[in-house]
Amino acid sequence: MFDASQQRKLVSVRGLKMYFPIYTGLLRRHTGDVKAVDGVSFDIYEGETLGLVGESGCGKSTCGRAVLRLYEPTEGSIIIDGKELAWDNIEARRISDQADRIGRWATWAAFLLGAALVIWLGATEMLTGAWPIVIAVLAVLVATYLVSRLSRSVIYRLRGASEGVSVDEFAPDDRALRRIRPTMQMVFQDPQASLNPRMTVADIIGEPLSEHSNKTGKERLNRIYELMDEVGLNRDFANRYPHEFSGGQRQRIGIARALALNPKFIVCDEPIAALDVSIQAQVVNLLEDLQTELGLTYLFISHDLSMVRHIADRVAVMYLGKIVELAPRDGLYEDPHHPYTKALLSAVPEPDPVSHDEANRVILQGDVPSPSNPPKGCNFCTRCPSVMDICHQIDPEFREVSAGRFVACHLFNDTQTAG
Amino acid sequence: MTDLANVNEQQGYRAPRNQWWDVWDQFKTHKGALFGLGFFVFMLLFVYVGPYLWPIDATYIDIRARNQGASWAHPMGADQLGRDTLARMMAGGRTSIAVGLTAMALSLLLGTFVGVIAGYFKKLDGPLMRLTDLFLALPLLPLLLVIIMLFRDTLRSTFGPENGIFILIVFVIGITSWMQAARIVRGDVLALKEREFVLAAKSIGTPSHRMITRHVLPNVMSPIMVSATLGIANAIITESALSFLGLGFPSDYPTWGRLLFDGTEWLQRNPERVIWPGLAISLTVLSVNYIGDGLRDALDPRIRGR
Repeated sequence: MFDASQQRKLVSVRGLKMYFPIYTGLLRRHTGDVKAVDGVSFDIYEGETLGLVGESGCGKSTCGRAVLRLYEPTEGSIIIDGKELAWDNIEARRISDQADRIGRWATWAAFLLGAALVIWLGATEMLTGAWPIVIAVLAVLVATYLVSRLSRSVIYRLRGASEGVSVDEFAPDDRALRRIRPTMQMVFQDPQASLNPRMTVADIIGEPLSEHSNKTGKERLNRIYELMDEVGLNRDFANRYPHEFSGGQRQRIGIARALALNPKFIVCDEPIAALDVSIQAQVVNLLEDLQTELGLTYLFISHDLSMVRHIADRVAVMYLGKIVELAPRDGLYEDPHHPYTKALLSAVPEPDPVSHDEANRVILQGDVPSPSNPPKGCNFCTRCPSVMDICHQIDPEFREVSAGRFVACHLFNDTQTAG
Repeated sequence: MTDLANVNEQQGYRAPRNQWWDVWDQFKTHKGALFGLGFFVFMLLFVYVGPYLWPIDATYIDIRARNQGASWAHPMGADQLGRDTLARMMAGGRTSIAVGLTAMALSLLLGTFVGVIAGYFKKLDGPLMRLTDLFLALPLLPLLLVIIMLFRDTLRSTFGPENGIFILIVFVIGITSWMQAARIVRGDVLALKEREFVLAAKSIGTPSHRMITRHVLPNVMSPIMVSATLGIANAIITESALSFLGLGFPSDYPTWGRLLFDGTEWLQRNPERVIWPGLAISLTVLSVNYIGDGLRDALDPRIRGR
């Protein structure tokens, strides 16, 4: 909708796959995968809101969580604010898996060797008395810990050098990830479930502060009050517990927690789905105000198309783990390209009963195929009203059909090749 | 909601006060818990301060008073050797309460540790739970016999006869009674781990150890409290059983369990010799149960204020 080339890409996701393995049988063998997110690519520009819509179970939430590395993605590259969070380089992934294995063996080997050494020294009476033995045992534990900590980076350097993979191309480990966490935060769907019932509001909002800053108690409290003002919570509520609040207030607490570290990117995982309609508008307006005020970038996951139309700058439509269409908001709502998008938009209720009844609706037949066994060819070919032969054969490529409009559909591949 | 303007700036905001005050406020509303706390404090005073007010030695033999009922000289009577039962109750209570509390603490610590680690770290779940099963399957008495045979003399020589046995008994009771707590805690942790607030903490970047202390442990407090209060009773009874078998404290060393067992032979002539220690054990256990009940309610903010 605005000039994309001028904007900085804050988030860039390429070929993200998130598979959940299925183990069956007596031996728990790996027999398949639930392909919750299956090769998703999108960019989010600084300061914009990307809406991510789709029916339940299509992988929206999984996608949002994988982008924040709350799950370990199977494949793909995630770059947030210039930092790679997953695996841009397949080779790096392979080396990392090796490093995991070798590191595990090395840790065990170090531990067993050390233990054997201590026992041998003890048995030959070279170690006598309580203190030398305690020190020896501690030394073994420290050595084991060091091996487990350092083996990975040593292997990265050695193997990386021989395979031509630089150290930066490896996904961050837990510690490095922890340092990146403040730039990206999440607002959760169910405000009741996402707040610890045993913590006060001040503790909940203050948790990110105590994890990532060295503020003293008083500074922390001031920042907590500031955040509470920002999201419109009375400061007197600081000492209360989540169960004492209404849904909308709880969601405000969740938002304040997400804002605590001044993040640049926030994933809103259906933040309004669990709220009353009257409260939904309040929360969405709050999110919008915060965006203009703080220059936030949102990935707004929702199944409420009207709300997405209200808040998003661009919209991505997901179906069965894949993005089928990605377009600027107005273009998408006025002229949907993909048959699934058309069906989805025609399901939006009309406020006017006459036009509601007369609307020419696209009603999809059948059910969504199982994500563990998606159909051959296009994922949507089993339900598509304008299905062609080729759709059963070849998975359509996700491509740009006109400026800023991406569609994965053979209908548009044809026009593209014909024209 | 946004009535910030109405708030008088000068009156200031109530600073978050220590949560333990809320816990105490709620605890006070639980009558049973208050009675329990009162009785438990009374019991502690009885066994620790009592000997100063009633200075007869627990092992002093007044042979003329043997098998006597209650009198001014011996308010709770005397045993078959003429030792004063009141003094023996005080001395015995000291050991019994100490054994009960420490053994419970040990078994709880072990059980909670194993349960939390097994529930939280998927890789350790299998090994730790099989270890728990192993301990549950161990025949208790032969195990106790072996442990006591192996360690009694070394402990006695290092820590003295009474402290040595005390450590041994606490240790033995602790490591043979942590399994139930571990299983309960593991189950709760498994359920908690899937809650969204744990995911939220993960997105903040909370490392595992603080995740456990901040989000998991406070939420598994209730089952821990329940097994703690039941554990004290269990420990006192096990201690007396051990002493009865000759594996515990020496036979002239009074504990409540010991007094109870010694009294059983004289049940028909001197029933009060069984009644007093029995009453002390059951009332102490009951009071601890009530305290635990009140504490569990007070620690849950959803129940607080009702």
